[in-house]
Amino acid sequence: MTLAGMKEGDRARIVRVSGEEAVKRHLGALGFVAGTIVRVVGESYGNMILAVHESRIAVNDATARNVEVADV
Amino acid sequence: MSKSIKIALAGNPNSGKTTLFNALTGSEQYVGNWPGVTVEKKDGILSGHKDVVIQDLPGIYSLSPYSIEEKVSRRFLVEEGPDAILNIVDGTNIERNLYFSTQLAELGLPMVMAVNMMDVVKKNGDKIDFDKIAKALRCEVVGISALKNEGGMEAAEKVVEMAKKAVVEKGPGKLPDVPHVFSGSVEHAIAHIEESIQGKVPLRSIRWYAIKVFERDREIIKKLEIGVGEMKHIEEHIRDCEKELGDDAESIITSQRYDFIKRLMDKSLALNENRKDKATLSDKIDKFVTHRILALPIFILSLCVMWFLAVAENGPGTVLTDWANDGFLADGWHVPFTTHECRAEGKYKGMEFEDAQGVFAKQDASKSAWEEAYLEKINEGKSDDDKVEEMPEEIDEKVAATIVAKGVFVEDEETGEPLAKECDCENCAKKRESGEECEGCGCGCGEPDLWDVDFAAYKAAKEFEEPDPKQFGVWVPGLGALITDALDKAGVSDTVKSLVVDGAWGGVATVLGFVPVIFIVFIFLAFLEDCGYMARVAFIMDRLLRRFGLSGKSFIPMLIGKGCGVPAVMAARAIENERARRMTVILATFVPCGAKTVIIAMFAALFFREQWYVAALMDVIGIAIIILGGIALKKTRFFAGEASSFVLELPAYHMPTVSGVWHHTWNRLKGYVLKAGLIIFPACVVLWFVMHFDWSLNLLADEEIEKSILHDLGSWIAWMFEPLGFGSWQGAAASVSAEIAKEQATATLGLVAANMDGATTGSHIQALFGSVSDFPKLAALSFMVFNLFVPPCMVAIAVTFREMGSKKWGWFAVGFQLFVGYVLALSVYRIGVLVAGGGFGIWTALAFALDAFCLWAIFRPGKKVKS
Repeated sequence: MTLAGMKEGDRARIVRVSGEEAVKRHLGALGFVAGTIVRVVGESYGNMILAVHESRIAVNDATARNVEVADV
Repeated sequence: MSKSIKIALAGNPNSGKTTLFNALTGSEQYVGNWPGVTVEKKDGILSGHKDVVIQDLPGIYSLSPYSIEEKVSRRFLVEEGPDAILNIVDGTNIERNLYFSTQLAELGLPMVMAVNMMDVVKKNGDKIDFDKIAKALRCEVVGISALKNEGGMEAAEKVVEMAKKAVVEKGPGKLPDVPHVFSGSVEHAIAHIEESIQGKVPLRSIRWYAIKVFERDREIIKKLEIGVGEMKHIEEHIRDCEKELGDDAESIITSQRYDFIKRLMDKSLALNENRKDKATLSDKIDKFVTHRILALPIFILSLCVMWFLAVAENGPGTVLTDWANDGFLADGWHVPFTTHECRAEGKYKGMEFEDAQGVFAKQDASKSAWEEAYLEKINEGKSDDDKVEEMPEEIDEKVAATIVAKGVFVEDEETGEPLAKECDCENCAKKRESGEECEGCGCGCGEPDLWDVDFAAYKAAKEFEEPDPKQFGVWVPGLGALITDALDKAGVSDTVKSLVVDGAWGGVATVLGFVPVIFIVFIFLAFLEDCGYMARVAFIMDRLLRRFGLSGKSFIPMLIGKGCGVPAVMAARAIENERARRMTVILATFVPCGAKTVIIAMFAALFFREQWYVAALMDVIGIAIIILGGIALKKTRFFAGEASSFVLELPAYHMPTVSGVWHHTWNRLKGYVLKAGLIIFPACVVLWFVMHFDWSLNLLADEEIEKSILHDLGSWIAWMFEPLGFGSWQGAAASVSAEIAKEQATATLGLVAANMDGATTGSHIQALFGSVSDFPKLAALSFMVFNLFVPPCMVAIAVTFREMGSKKWGWFAVGFQLFVGYVLALSVYRIGVLVAGGGFGIWTALAFALDAFCLWAIFRPGKKVKS
């Protein structure tokens, strides 16, 4: 399951992040690492606003597909 | 002299860094660029500490080379080495912020961590144990609230104290005590790497370097010149770790860092459980602002507000512009609320200033009309040499008595039309209200407003002196008046006066005249940025712009571009994806900027009075070029491939501070104002010179402009503009001088057209286009389109080259823009002429061929690129 399959209000635990090296690194710095809990705050046409730690991170659908998650 | 202490201010974006920096440095700050790279670096003197420099680093999330800003910041921290670090951390999001702090701690520099927004933390009911964090990260920790100006100075003083102590006690050579955050096998590998790079790096930062080598950071490995054998040995250790932990080295470091922070937070952070996972106010606002249907209308509405403020009639933008152009930069202005009726004895007593000016203007018009008639009369029958050109002191009463002149007001300086009469009769008033032409009722309405001036009226008119504005309120002289006064007092020659007033100051004043509009646009954008909305705009627009090879973050430069292209190009830095960033730089300046608006306004007034839509059309063309240009560029091999990711933190909404908005606005506006001084000023002097001198350096009279250097220069390149319909030396000279600053095109046209016969500048320019083409309107449209859509002014071009990072890419951008502008102007003119019945020629064929090429470039199938 990836972030792209989640709906507004869903919570999940990140399993792994794949994709382009630099983007992966950036996502890592923002807290997208294995074990972190994310919550979907908003969703629009596949683009998402996610709550990670105490911040809100906007990602597009392609990025969301690169974040593998599991149920909490 | 003691060496100054350098303190680096580092932290995540939106952690309150700028607020703290401004609070610490007050007004004593200066912005420079990082050496070699164009990322803005702000330095400021710590208030009350002359020997302490605070260096404001860009807000970044990590010391990994992700964006330009991260690369540059880390190079600064590692290589230039500040004496200490002041790390600002958002207390409401401390876990994420500490990720960066752990990296900073590894640099081994004295560090104070300022945990910001403590007021909010307390209000939320959260508790943070500073001592435990301090112990774990081996630094000092203090709580502050930058917005309320609490604790910041104490934090700064603490870091200064630490820096001073460090200089005395340690020196940079001692192995520092830095936190160990990783698991056993990773620490083991790092220890090995430290061993092999010892001596190559400053000892205090050895751990930071070792971790970077472990992450296989190419830049660092190359810099350290680790031998092949050595590297092979290190690589073995890294592989062992990767095998054991089942992940790549970089991910191991990232997640173990977060593990370490998690453990630390378990001990030191007590979150108010009631708050968990609750929707914040920002989340609720985002429900609307990023709503799939409402998002776009809300955004368009906010743009409308901006345009109302900046350019609407009687809006703040136009009021300020009028004040700047007619008052501040020209003769002067009355301080609002100080104006009163004239109290001094004399002709104007009891009048308001404007009425007095009206009275004087009428008397002045009477005077000059009568004088003109008188001179004509006494010169009757005389040969040219005997003619009297100035009013003699002694007036021949007999002749004078016979003269009745027609006084007239000139309504429009540009067209020279006389002012029409407006009568008070009921019939006319009704017609005027319904917008009809008021003619034929016999009252003379709509006919030129002429009045008789006889000798007596003339004598009376002569009594009137220009009203002294000082008698009508507190009067502040304008810069133009001050300069003229100073020159008069210095008693300089007319040539020097013309150089300074018409040449240099004229150009500078034109540029400064746009400051109000640009200022309002920038204030509004700074407000949107500081409150957090701009990040949402990037998010909303991403889906749309992605199709044209751009990123949602490209939209912000384009908005800024409506004000001025220079800060627009610089704002493209925030885009991490290199392809999207380059494309944004190439395309952002197609948005007609504040200066180009002047060209549009002038041509709309002179040529397209009936085509009200021409001005709006130019904006539409700009947007169309961005979209179609984006599509075409994306299909070339330079820009092919998916700019697939979009990641952006959305800061919580908050009310911007006045000082924050001001700093943001000023930083952008400054570039525009400096342009007036540093580039426009010398350029105008040069332009004035080539316009007023011939090749033998003889000073020319105004009507001798055809002998000028400018005339020859323009003639040499006029052939290039021939296909576009304005292949005259004037058109060429205006187009080339527009590269100094776009609004210069209108100024140059005015100057070069002024020597032709006729009344005033406006009709000169109309005549000029009439003389080069049978279709003057099309030629004018072509001229306008050309100057709007070829490369921007030279300041923007210079910035484009810098931001592109290489000459090759700089030329690519300029070449593309030149191509677009030329093809567009060629098509407008040649195809326009064809439609208007002017026939088909070789240039029409070329226009069609180039248009076909453009269509092919836009609609051909894109290059397949494997991801």
